[in-house]
Amino acid sequence: MTIKLKKQVIEILTVLKKKKTEQLATPFAKELSIDYIVLMAAINDLIDIELGGFREEEINQISLNEEGRNYLKNGLPENQLLALMRESNVKEINMKDLLIKSKLNKQLFYIGLSNMRKNCWIAQSKTTGENKIFLVAEEFPETDAEKFINTFKANPTRDYSKLSKNEQVQFDLLNRRKLFTKEKKTERYIFLTNKGKSIKTSTIKELEQVSKITPEMLSSGSWKKYNLKPFDVTKPGPLLKAGKTHPLVNLINKIREVFISMGFTEIRGPIVESAFFNFDALFQPQDHPARELQDTFYLNNPKTARLPDKDRVLAVKATHENGGDSGSLGWRYKWDENIAKQTVLRTHTTSTTMRRLAQFYNDNEKTPIKVFCIDRVFRNESLDKTHLAEFTQIEGIVIDENVNLCDLIGLLSEFYRKVGFKKIVTRPGFFPYTEPSMEVAVYYEKLGEWLEMGGSGIFRPEVTSPWGIKDPTRVLAWGQGLERIAMPYYGRKDIRDLYINPIKWLRQQPY
Amino acid sequence: MKIDRLEKLVGKKLNIDELEYDLQWIGLDLEDINKEEQILKVEYNPNRPDYSSPEGIARALKGYYEIELGVPSFDLQRSEIVVTVDPSVKKVRPYIVCGIVRNIDLDEEEVATLMTIQEHLHWAVGRDRKKVAIGVHDLDKVKAPYRYTAVKPDSVSFIPLHGDGYAMNLEEILLLHDKGIEYAKILEGKDVYPIIFDSNNEVLSFPPIINGILTTVTDETKNLFLDLTGTDLNAVNLALNILSTTLSDMGAKIETVEVKYEGGKNLITPNLNQNKWEIEIDYVNSYIGLHLTAAEMIKCFQKVRLDAKESKKPGYLDVYIPAFRGDIMHSVDLIEEVAIGYGYFNLPKSIREGGIGKYHPIQTFSNKIRTIMIGAGYLEVLNFILTSSEKHYDFMRQEYEESDVIQIANPVSKEYNTTRTTILPNLLETIRFNRSEEKPIRIFEVGDAVLLSKEEETGAKREVHLSAASYHEDANFTEIRSTLDFVMMALGKFNEYEIKADNNPSYITGRYGEIYIKDVKIGEIGEIHPEVLLNFKLEFPVAALELNLQKIM
Repeated sequence: MTIKLKKQVIEILTVLKKKKTEQLATPFAKELSIDYIVLMAAINDLIDIELGGFREEEINQISLNEEGRNYLKNGLPENQLLALMRESNVKEINMKDLLIKSKLNKQLFYIGLSNMRKNCWIAQSKTTGENKIFLVAEEFPETDAEKFINTFKANPTRDYSKLSKNEQVQFDLLNRRKLFTKEKKTERYIFLTNKGKSIKTSTIKELEQVSKITPEMLSSGSWKKYNLKPFDVTKPGPLLKAGKTHPLVNLINKIREVFISMGFTEIRGPIVESAFFNFDALFQPQDHPARELQDTFYLNNPKTARLPDKDRVLAVKATHENGGDSGSLGWRYKWDENIAKQTVLRTHTTSTTMRRLAQFYNDNEKTPIKVFCIDRVFRNESLDKTHLAEFTQIEGIVIDENVNLCDLIGLLSEFYRKVGFKKIVTRPGFFPYTEPSMEVAVYYEKLGEWLEMGGSGIFRPEVTSPWGIKDPTRVLAWGQGLERIAMPYYGRKDIRDLYINPIKWLRQQPY
Repeated sequence: MKIDRLEKLVGKKLNIDELEYDLQWIGLDLEDINKEEQILKVEYNPNRPDYSSPEGIARALKGYYEIELGVPSFDLQRSEIVVTVDPSVKKVRPYIVCGIVRNIDLDEEEVATLMTIQEHLHWAVGRDRKKVAIGVHDLDKVKAPYRYTAVKPDSVSFIPLHGDGYAMNLEEILLLHDKGIEYAKILEGKDVYPIIFDSNNEVLSFPPIINGILTTVTDETKNLFLDLTGTDLNAVNLALNILSTTLSDMGAKIETVEVKYEGGKNLITPNLNQNKWEIEIDYVNSYIGLHLTAAEMIKCFQKVRLDAKESKKPGYLDVYIPAFRGDIMHSVDLIEEVAIGYGYFNLPKSIREGGIGKYHPIQTFSNKIRTIMIGAGYLEVLNFILTSSEKHYDFMRQEYEESDVIQIANPVSKEYNTTRTTILPNLLETIRFNRSEEKPIRIFEVGDAVLLSKEEETGAKREVHLSAASYHEDANFTEIRSTLDFVMMALGKFNEYEIKADNNPSYITGRYGEIYIKDVKIGEIGEIHPEVLLNFKLEFPVAALELNLQKIM
């Protein structure tokens, strides 16, 4: 049997056969003076006929950072302190004196001190007041930490996985002192399979171009002389690189249609938002954990936002401080206008909803008002399987007289039924700006399980009353992350997949 | 939470499957359920810190199962113990309330509960110890009266819990002790730190950081001293009430402490008196959508462990709220209690039809653009608006001043320190991610860009852009120009627009132009500069365009 391969693939196969062992891809491509891409394409051809393959190896490169390199040169803080005490030949010293002498900052000094204790070099008086340090050890052999740091003299970068057990322990300990930089790298090794190694060069032929019908053949009638090579009609054709909309956009459009069919109008609002509309107007106290730095992207530029009319700001301030005229006790603290002026990337589309309530007030509109928003929101979170720093939120609200919790349950059933979930359950939940609040779960038949969707409720009077919305006019609201529907819908387990655009996946996804 | 423990507390045989169902109706979400070992894990409800223990949950379940109705009662005795508050704490951490717990006999699970409840109170009521911090001490290791005062950071040393066993001064604890490092920010900028001494000047606690080793609670401990310090008197009281009522449910005896503030303002804590609230029956019914009678509504309140009776004012109820509930600040909070007491599962749904919905014009236009781009053979991608200034400006060879770009003050990573002003860099990034895919790669994105704008209330505006890029061996200006012509033709604007040759560092000189309709610039088009291609590690040329759709609509 002969195998037909491209010329270049035959060349690469031949060199690899000579080399006998697996090769690191990048230097190998250089050696053959070919592009890495071309090399990997050739390997892919070999993989297709089971003659070759590649494997990936991840290496964790570690090296000393600036602080680490400084210690490599001058010694760890504990060694620096020890050297000071031994140089000046003192067995006891006042802690403060040693601190001044060492020229270390306080933190490094205390770190040095605590390690001296751990190394059993010193003892410390435990009484209140003056702290004295006594040198108690006689000998000071090189510590494991020193030994480890010193290995970086010879090789500035090392592979973590190749460290000895003991060295790994030392690394982990020293890494807590933030002395290293870590970098992950993936390296590819290419190789021939046993079949590839043993294949005879004589059985490999260069691939010839397939012939086709030409205009000449047609006009001259010579096509009759040729026997055109048959195609394997059962095989799939090559990929058509055509255009298509993104699955999330399709889903968004589907949900927009549901809202429109239920009589809701689409709204849109700022991405850079004031803390006022993002938090304060929603009755989130200014010391609320959700407002803290780790959850919210605050901006340095633009640094502050302009607030709405003074009387609306004062009305919001009052609900926080004493409930204002909302009938609430309020949060009972001093509300700070400057905190409300901070700019943030909105953490929810509810800030846009609040602007809609403000418009309702300003334009003196009539109820009912039914609006929805499907748009991007931002959270200052590290990315993982279930968390994104930016995602899409769905939100709907109804402003109307005498609407109640049972109406909201009706709305939710209708909405989720139209989105494609026949069974829903609503149960008690907690959200800071709705009361009563409800959590919504839907039954997903494809998976045979209940899925948490999001939250809903009636806006607290503290939220609505500054905008002139008072009982019996109430605001029903519900919202959730689009991705919660999208993930099971598109069979993704990792939420990040939805935004990294693997072209192959995008092309294969059904509408 | 073990089922058998909950059974003991509730006083009823419980079935784990039933519990799984029942817990959701009192406002608890299940996190995990282990049927073999009969263990339930519930998610923390930030609104109900009193649910932080099986004891607290059992109280609610007893109401749900109608085993016990109304406000739970607790036995509270007075002790002679006094805590004096020095005025120096005003500047750093003004409030302390305390309690005594006697005759404790905690098993392993109860000790674990005590730890969890502290953790939850620290977080939810205490705002990560800023507003409230809790200390639990072995009462018999120290001598009353106690003194809450503030001292200079290096003037006091003691052996902290979870340290190396050495005495550390307060400053050293903040710099080196794990808890010190974690909570140092609470004391940042203060020149004195709070501390609690006993009558022999032994340190009980350095709040809100760490306790001394002296009062460590062990299995030998019989009596507890609780200290709760903080910046908000309501919050410290609430946390103390939750903690002491839970300990009382564990079978301990609770006693009060007299806390003496400056100027004779003394408190006897814990104070477990109920709060009273008046509410109109019709209002509750109209809010939920029910028609309950006074008696039915009272029953609902009692089932959620509140009490209510008909008020002197006709049509109203007086509602009584136990001291461990800190979440009632408006009548609507009581309305939710009625709904929970009634059972959310019993609520009927009502359908209100009507109204005419409208799409947002920019979304409709975006969808039109999508249809056109698909026709041109481009695949749609979606990227984040968040981006890094490195990718967005440096990689694109664009100079920028910090003052000219959106700056995130506290990015989690360098990956996201600004928002995009154009979509094109995201497309180049997408191509990089897919560069081993078969060529040609033709992609587009319709999405938001965010730009500084002084006229806007928030200092920035959003614009919807279209960007398209073609990546293959022969990608060039002509190809992308054809694409632009196709789009403009489809929009009926083919005769209205022109391209003015210009220069742009992201593009090849002589192969770049700015797109205009009349005198308004609506976009850019060209072949990407080789240095930009290399920055994105691309191997073939890219031809691209970007249009501001809001200027074309």
